[in-house]
Amino acid sequence: MKAALLLGTAMVLGGGSAAAQSMRTLTAARPLPVAAPATVARLDFGAGQVVLRAGDGSDLYRMVLRYDADRFQPVQRYDPETGALQLGVTSIGRGGLRVTSREQLAQVARFEFAPEVPLALHASLGSSEASMDLGGLTLTELSVRSGAVRGIIDFSRPTLGSCTRATFSVGASELDVIRLANSGCAEVLVEGGVGRAVLDFNGEWRGDMEVEANLAMGQLVLRIPPDVGVQVVAERFLTAVSLEGLIKEGNSWSSPGFAEASRKVTVAVKTSLGSLEVVR
Amino acid sequence: MRAGNPVVPVIRVLILAALTVSSVGASAPAPGVSELAGRVRDLLGLLAESSPAVTPQAVASSGQDGPTVSIKRLDEPTRIERELRTAIREPLEATTLTVPDGMARLGRYTLGSSEVQSGDVVVLRGDADLHGRLEGNLVTLDGDIIVHPGATVVGDLLAIGGRVREAGGTIIGSVQSLQALESPPPAVAARSLPMLVATRGAGAIGVFLTLLVLGFGLVTFGRPNLEIVSDTVTQSFGRSFLVGVLGQILVIPTFGMLVVGLVLTVAGVLLLPFAAVVFALLTIIAVLGGLLAVAHAMGERITRRQMANGRAVSPNSYRYFATGLAGIAGIWFGWVAFGWVPVAGPMILAVALLGTWFVTTVGFGAALLSRGGMRESFSGRMLPPAMMTDEYLWATPQMGVPAVNRPGKRQP
Repeated sequence: MKAALLLGTAMVLGGGSAAAQSMRTLTAARPLPVAAPATVARLDFGAGQVVLRAGDGSDLYRMVLRYDADRFQPVQRYDPETGALQLGVTSIGRGGLRVTSREQLAQVARFEFAPEVPLALHASLGSSEASMDLGGLTLTELSVRSGAVRGIIDFSRPTLGSCTRATFSVGASELDVIRLANSGCAEVLVEGGVGRAVLDFNGEWRGDMEVEANLAMGQLVLRIPPDVGVQVVAERFLTAVSLEGLIKEGNSWSSPGFAEASRKVTVAVKTSLGSLEVVR
Repeated sequence: MRAGNPVVPVIRVLILAALTVSSVGASAPAPGVSELAGRVRDLLGLLAESSPAVTPQAVASSGQDGPTVSIKRLDEPTRIERELRTAIREPLEATTLTVPDGMARLGRYTLGSSEVQSGDVVVLRGDADLHGRLEGNLVTLDGDIIVHPGATVVGDLLAIGGRVREAGGTIIGSVQSLQALESPPPAVAARSLPMLVATRGAGAIGVFLTLLVLGFGLVTFGRPNLEIVSDTVTQSFGRSFLVGVLGQILVIPTFGMLVVGLVLTVAGVLLLPFAAVVFALLTIIAVLGGLLAVAHAMGERITRRQMANGRAVSPNSYRYFATGLAGIAGIWFGWVAFGWVPVAGPMILAVALLGTWFVTTVGFGAALLSRGGMRESFSGRMLPPAMMTDEYLWATPQMGVPAVNRPGKRQP
C-alpha cells in the first residue's frame, strides 16, 4: 500500500516536468572580400519566419538562424571561387509531430547580403512566413518558391545592375510582390497552384517587362500604374477574368494607346479554374 | 557546486567592480560597448565557482584508431560539435584527438602577436585569443574566439557554445557562432494533475452536454427519422458498420466526382460552392445524427432490459438517448480520470477513440442505409402481427402518438 502511494506520488510529481527544449541560434557571416565573385545564393528554410534585406556592406552575407535542433541542422556553404552559397537549414529526417506551443519552437531566419555584389537569389521557403526587402541589392536573378503561409517581397528602392528574370512559384500560399518595377527584371514568371499572388508594378521603370503566368486554381492580381501600357494574352479555361479598362481583341486585352506607351508590360496567362485580375 | 572560502566571492566582486570602473574612467580611449561587455563577461566567468578553469595544454594525438575530427570544412557545425563532444573524455586530460593538418588544445589558447600558426586549430573548453596570424580554420568548443586588433585570420572561425568576438582584427573567411541549447522558458510549465483532470473533465462535459442538447432537439423535432435510424442500428448492426466503413472510404472520392461533374457541366460551376457546402453539411449531419441514433439505440436496449427486470422506468426517447449517451461518455470520463497514468492512460484514450469511431461508423452506416431515417427497409419496423409478443406489447406504448408510429399499427 505504501509502495503504491509512493508510486502514485512520483507519477503526480513526474508529470509536472517541462518539455525538452531544442532551440539553438547560429550566427554566420563572411566579411566582404576585396574581390568577390558574383554570388549565387540558395536559401532553404522550411518553416518559420524569414527576413531578408540588404546588409550594411561590411559582410558578403550574414545569417542569424534560430532553429529547432531536434528537426533541422544549419547549413552554410560558400565557394569563394564560384560564389556559390547555400544558407538555411536542412531536415535531419526525424518525423512526427511537435506537440508544444508555437512560440516555443518559432524558427526565425534573418539573411543579409552585400548590396554591391551581384546576387542571383534562389529561395525555397516551404511553409515559412517571409518578409523580404530586396531593394538596393545588385540583383541579377530571383526565384522564390513558396509552399504555404504568406510572403511579402518588397523592392523598396531600385536594385542595382540588371535582373534577367524573376520567378515566383506559389503553392498554397499568399505572395505579395511590391514595387516590382524597382527590380528591373525584364521577365517575370509566375507559377501558381491554389494560392494567391499579387504583383505590384509600381516603382522606377527601367524598361519594358514581360510577365508569363501559369495558374492552376490560383489567383493572380496585377497592379499596374495607369501610365504603363498593358497587354494581356490569355489562354484560359473556366477562368474568372477581371480586366477593367482594357479593350478586348480576340484572346488579348490591351490598354488604350498600348502601342504608343513609353513603358509597357505584356502579360501571357495560361490558366484553368484560376482567376486573373488587372487593377490600374 | 564546490565548497569554497566564503570570502573569495566577495573579493572577486570587489575586483570586478574596480576593474570595470578603471576601464571606464581610464584616460586611454574607452573600449567599445562590445569590448566592455566581453570583459565583464570574462570576469563573470571567473566568478563561476562551478566551472573551474581548465589548465591550458596540448591534446595528445589519438592515433589511427582514436577519434579524428577534420575541420577543413565548417559547412555543418552541428556535425563537428557532435564529433568533438564524442571525443571528449573525463577527466579532460584523458582526451585524445587527431586534427588532420592541425592540432587540438585544451583550455585557453592564445596566439601571440608575433606568432604565426599554420594549420587548423581545435580548442576544447576554453577561449581562443588571437593576436597574431592564423592560417587555417579555428574551432572552439564551449569557448569564445576573440580576434584582437592586429590579428589576421586566413581561414574560417567557428565558436560552438560560444561566440566570435571581432575586436578589430582582420578575418578572411567565414565567422560562425553556434550557441548552446536555449534553456526552457519558465512560462512553459506542465499543468498539475488536478488541473489536468479538471481541464479534460470540463472539455468532456462540454462535448457531451452539447451532444445531449443536439440529441434532445433531434428527439423533439425529428423523432421519426431518429427512431428509424436507431432501429436500423439495432436490426442491421453488421450491415450498418460495413456501410459506415465504406462510406468513410468513399466520401472524398464522391466529393471529387461531384466537383468534376459540376465543372464539366459549365453551368454547374456556379453551383460548385453551394454544392460543396451542402455536401459537407450532409456529411456532418449523417455522422452526427448517426452517432446520436446509436446512443438512442443503446439507451433503448438498456431501458428495455431494466424494464424486463421489473424496474419501473418511463420508456421514452429522451430517456433512451440520455442513457445511451451516458454509456458512450462513460469511457471518455474514464480517460479523464485515469488518462494521466503512464501506459494505461494512452491505452484508455485509444480505447475511447476506437470505441467512438466504431459507434460513429455504425451510426453513419445506419444513416446511409436508412437514407437519413426515411427508408425503413433495414430497420425491422415491418413486423408481422405474429411477432407482437406480450413482452413487446408490455414495453411499448399502446396509445397516443408513439403508439401510432409503432410498427404494428402500420400493418394492414
